[in-house]
Amino acid sequence: MTQQPEILHYAVSVVGKDRPGIVAAITEGLFNLGCNIADSSCTMLGGEFAMILIVSLKRPFSKSRLIEELKPVCDRIGMSLGVRTLHPDEVARQETDGEICMISVYGADQPGIVYRVTRELAARNINITDLNTKLVGTAEEPVYILMLEVALPDGESPEGVEKTLAALKKELNVEIGVRVITPVAF
Amino acid sequence: MPVQPILRYPHPMLKKLCNRVEKIDPGIHDLVQDLVDTMHEGPGSVGVAAPQIGVTLRVCVVDVSKNRHGKENNHGLLCMINPEITSRSGSATMREGCMSVPDYTGDVDRATDISLQFTLPDGTFREMTASGFEAVAIQHEMDHLDGVLFLDRVISIKTGLFRRKSY
Repeated sequence: MTQQPEILHYAVSVVGKDRPGIVAAITEGLFNLGCNIADSSCTMLGGEFAMILIVSLKRPFSKSRLIEELKPVCDRIGMSLGVRTLHPDEVARQETDGEICMISVYGADQPGIVYRVTRELAARNINITDLNTKLVGTAEEPVYILMLEVALPDGESPEGVEKTLAALKKELNVEIGVRVITPVAF
Repeated sequence: MPVQPILRYPHPMLKKLCNRVEKIDPGIHDLVQDLVDTMHEGPGSVGVAAPQIGVTLRVCVVDVSKNRHGKENNHGLLCMINPEITSRSGSATMREGCMSVPDYTGDVDRATDISLQFTLPDGTFREMTASGFEAVAIQHEMDHLDGVLFLDRVISIKTGLFRRKSY
């Protein structure tokens, strides 16, 4: 018989039209349940606000209890709710030995920039840890900006990534730069 | 001298304003040696400040000569007593981490060129300029003497997701 962990973890996502008070409303619900917010990231995009939270709670607890508490809150403020139970091996902290890199891609807007770039990265087993895109410029000359933060697998170099993306840079006629942003330790 | 354990936040020592060293006595020499030994113990560590080992005195050590960012431009081992920055210029952002705040990193803006003065363990007064990574490391360590952590200077909400693999 496998031993059940004492602490349960859930990934909670909340998305909806932005307005003041969303974080307070959601975290009040979590507080009432006695949930810990382990890690979280929340941001506004367009007029939408999106929250992703890893929450933890001691047994006995259940996903349905979490939804029972949060769903009415979300309904009241017009947000959608997603809850996923995390397995213990998902909760273990991820670590990487490779470099952390920022990849910037920008140029004339065209279909497929994100797909073409990320397909190359996926093929080399490069993990995206953060990504954002923004359409800027004018209606006549729309410019697309894609910023990626990636973790390189062992044996992969920033120069290697730049080389991999060189053909794409030419084909899409976009600028692609790779910079090492691995934290420095003091 | 023994390697000392690095205090971690929320240890109250890390938020204290440290006192100036008034007299360089054998205790100060021991402290400097402890700092150097502790720095060398942490693989990849490029500096340690006295409050990080529980001593609230204005003493810190920096050595970026073995770091890939600093090996081309450095002054070797710097043991600084009562260091003061007299001018700063330039600005660069670097993602920093700290042995006293494990598992967290953040983008911090620092001056790229600094002039500083300090007293050496032998009592000699020294003035020098530092630039690049060495200047960043000195500013990070000197912040500790004022009870300032890099967390107090983070300029971007985006933080590293990964645990630092070494100090």
